Formats: sequence, C-alpha cells, structure tokens
Amino acid sequence: MGSRSGIDPWIGLLVILIAGPLLIGLGFMLLYSTGLIGLLATGFTLRFWTRVLLDGQTWVALTYSALLGGASLGASLALALALQAALGARLRTGALRGLLFLPMAVPPLVAALLSVHMLGNAGLLSRLAHAAGVVARPEDFPTLLYTSVGLGIVVTHMTLVTPFLLLLLDRLARHESVAELEQVARTLGASRWQAWQRVSLPVLMRASAPVLSVYFVVLMGAYEVPLLVGAQYPSMIAVLIQRRFSQFDMGTRPEAYVLASLYACVAMGLLLVLLASRARHNALERGA
Amino acid sequence: MIRRALAWALSVLLVLPLVLLALLSLARHWTWPALLPTELQARQWQDLIADSNALGAVVLRSLGMGIAVAVLATALGFVSSRSVAHHPRQGQLLALLHMPFAISPVVLGVSLLFTFLRLHLAGHVGGVMLAQLIFAYAYAVILLSGFWNPQVLTLAELAISLGARRRQVWLQVLVPLARPLLLVCLFQTFLISWFDYALTLLIGDSQVATLTVSLYQYFNSGDIRLAATCSLLLLVPPLLALGINHRLLSATVATRLEAQSD
Repeated sequence: MGSRSGIDPWIGLLVILIAGPLLIGLGFMLLYSTGLIGLLATGFTLRFWTRVLLDGQTWVALTYSALLGGASLGASLALALALQAALGARLRTGALRGLLFLPMAVPPLVAALLSVHMLGNAGLLSRLAHAAGVVARPEDFPTLLYTSVGLGIVVTHMTLVTPFLLLLLDRLARHESVAELEQVARTLGASRWQAWQRVSLPVLMRASAPVLSVYFVVLMGAYEVPLLVGAQYPSMIAVLIQRRFSQFDMGTRPEAYVLASLYACVAMGLLLVLLASRARHNALERGA
Repeated sequence: MIRRALAWALSVLLVLPLVLLALLSLARHWTWPALLPTELQARQWQDLIADSNALGAVVLRSLGMGIAVAVLATALGFVSSRSVAHHPRQGQLLALLHMPFAISPVVLGVSLLFTFLRLHLAGHVGGVMLAQLIFAYAYAVILLSGFWNPQVLTLAELAISLGARRRQVWLQVLVPLARPLLLVCLFQTFLISWFDYALTLLIGDSQVATLTVSLYQYFNSGDIRLAATCSLLLLVPPLLALGINHRLLSATVATRLEAQSD
C-alpha cells in the first residue's frame, strides 16, 4: 500500500507541508532580524536582537503571556473540577448534555465580542447591577476589561475552555472508573472530601495532563481574545508581535521578527519538553 | 435539589450568550441601563438577505474556503496518517505536527508573509487557504493516525489477498471503515478555516474579506449590530452540526481528546 523502499512520499508531503513552512519562516525571520535581507538591510548586525533582548517589554510580554495562559487554564480547570464533582452524572442528562457543546461552536473572536457586551461598563452585568441597585452609573461598575491584570482575557478564555474541560473530565472519570475508586475509598473510611482529594483528583489530573499541557501552550499564544479585551500594556506576545509587524515604521519590522523568532523557539521548546516528558512517563508506565 | 438547580443555572449561562448575540443583532435602541432593547429592527437581516452590504459574497467566500480546506486536509491527512501510524519515528512526526499549533497562527503568518508575497500568494484566497492548510493538514494527520489499528490493517490485507486493487482497498474498505472519523475530521478542519482570523489578516494582506475579518472590522468601527450579525452567521455551521448530528460533536470531543493525548 505504501512505498516499501526509499522515502515514503506521504511522509515527504508531510515534511514539505509542515516542516517546510516552519523552517522557511524561521530562516527568513533570522535573516531579516540580523540585517541580511529586507528593505533596510545593511549587512549582518545583532543590534535588533540586542535591542529586543534588552527591552523590558519583551520579557514582560513573555511572562505576561505565560501567566495569563496559566491563569486561564488553572481557573478553567478549577471550575471544571468543581462542576464535575458537584454535578457528576447529571452532566450527561437533560438539556445540559447537549448545551455543554455550545461553546465549542463559538470562535475566540465572538467570545471576545460577547465579553465586551457582558463584562463591559455598559454591559449586561453592569445593567443587572444597576437593576439590583448596586451601581448608579456605568462608571461605578468595576472595570473588568482592558486591565493590566488581564481579568477580561482570563474570564473570556474560561468561557471557552471550561465546558471543554468539563466534558474531558467527565469522559476521563468514566474511563478511569473514578466513581468506583471513590466508592472503595469511602468504604475504607475516607470522607467524601478525602476520597475526592486523594483518589479522584490525582487520577483525573494524571489522565488530563497531556491535553492540559498542549492547551497551556496554545493559550500562551492566544491572539484574538487579548486583541479585543486586553490592555494596551502589557500585551500578550502574539498581539505585541502583530502590532510591531504592522506599524507604519518599517524600522520596527526586524524587531517584530526577533520577537516572533524568540517566541517560536520558546513555544516549540516548551512543547517538545512537555511531549518528551510525556513519552518518558509513558515508557516508564509500560515498563512497570 | 442543589444539583438540579446548579444544572439549570449552568444551562442558562450556556444559552445566554446566544440570546445576547441575537438581541444585539436586532436592537435598534439599547442604551444603559435597559436590560432589554427598547426597540427592535430586522434591518441588518433584511440587508443581509438583499445583500446590500455585500456580506453574501463574504459568507460564500468563507464557506468555499472552509469546504476546500476541509476536503483537501482530510483527503491528504487520511493517506498521510497511515504512513505516520506505521513509521518508526511516529513520536517525532507527531511532535512535528503539533508545532504549528505551538507557535500560533500570528507567528506563522508573520514569518511566511514575505515568502507568500514572492510567490504572489499573499492577498489572494489561494494563499490564505494554503496557510490554513498547514494547520488543517497537521490536525487531520494527528486525528486520523489513531484510525490505523491492527484490525483495520488485517482487513486491508485480507482485501488484497482476495484480489482487490490498491484503489479498491482505499475506496471500498478503508474509507467506509473510517467514515465516522472522516466526518469529524472534515467538520473540525472546516472550523479551522471558518474560525481563522490571524492568518487571513496577515497572509490575506487585508485584501481577503472573510466573516471573521468583517466581524472585526464592524466591531472596530462600532457597528455592533453588524458585528453581532456576523457572529451569528459564524455560529451557524457548528450549531447546525450540533442540531443535526449531536453525535458528531460528541465524537469530535472524544477524538480531539484522543488526538491531543496521543
């Protein structure tokens, strides 16, 4: 069915379509950012790299992206775990069973637009607060969007990620027979909290770790949500790259490529470490 | 009782955004602090049907791009996934397939724009689709590589030993066996293109108008009604899939999880 000798053409296609663009893109960014190509190229220089690496905004954006990615994932996971523990089998009955799939139909751009009209100073929450007599004017409502804390980004990501994690945890709980394990722990004298904390939680966390690690890297590089509901400063890294790239001043373009190269290396390195540690863990489990 | 109340509250929260979008797209006057619009109008929907704001062409372009990317990615991904599933370096190949998702569409778009400009692909629908295909194809291979289990291979070999030709094995044995997974793959890869904003913006060089690009433009210009209308249009295909075939999305979650935990 496939070629029996030499390079498999389908693997060749895969390398051309996936590795090709990545290598071409990275190679181009390195050449441009070192002054070897580009409209303003004047020969090899490391001044753009030095400038970006010494610029505090670079490290702020990288740290901010990692923190918001972690916060979005952590908060979504905590909420999903709480809902899974509280609702149990009810997740699979009635209207809720189908409605949990709704957020999967919502792209990040639409989720961000909804956040503006839910959480903004003139949004639905603010109107409800006025109806409850808590605020008198839109300005009285606490600012939830465009803040440097990134609350709007985290909440918007939570609305997208939590239902997916809830479905994941429910599926994993069934697959790993968590209810039965909890029952055994209860018959051995554990309280309900102890059974959840010492039996269910470790099982669910171990089983969901691969998906969570990929999700973390994806959330770190989020673009649409921080673009619409994030602060001007600090920016998440994808927004900062796009802004530097699209500026009218062509002189900022090499810096945008330095930032993009730096982030690509960080994200790919991080994912490789996560995948390698997962493979090592799987190999150890198979050996045990 | 508490569980029931919690389930209801969660259900309401899940439906509320859709109701809000519908109200935003229909509201004529909805000033603070009114909880509901004081006046409704269906003008943007009438304009949409009459195509007076050229959204019809945008919808058709987005649909065409999504369908083409989905069909191409699924077809290529199905054949490639077989090679990946049996490759001695399967782990490394799967790691490579995850890389586009790690570096984010913005970085890939920024890094490829110059090459696409040189190839006269930037600013064209074909160029945007090619860039989207990188993600869709990678996703399809990751998803479909789980299909090639020993049972499937035994059936394929049995068909060959009974005299079936290679083409017959693919079309009459493997495709029917993989049909549910292929449907999920088509749907998911369609969504990769349908939901894409960053690649369309960068590789499209602001010249390829899709629904997501129009949504952002309307939002930025303060036309919330049209932004909400675009949002609702974006939700139509996935919601139709949810309505027509709930199991498709259910299988999507399962396969997405399996793909990510491979």
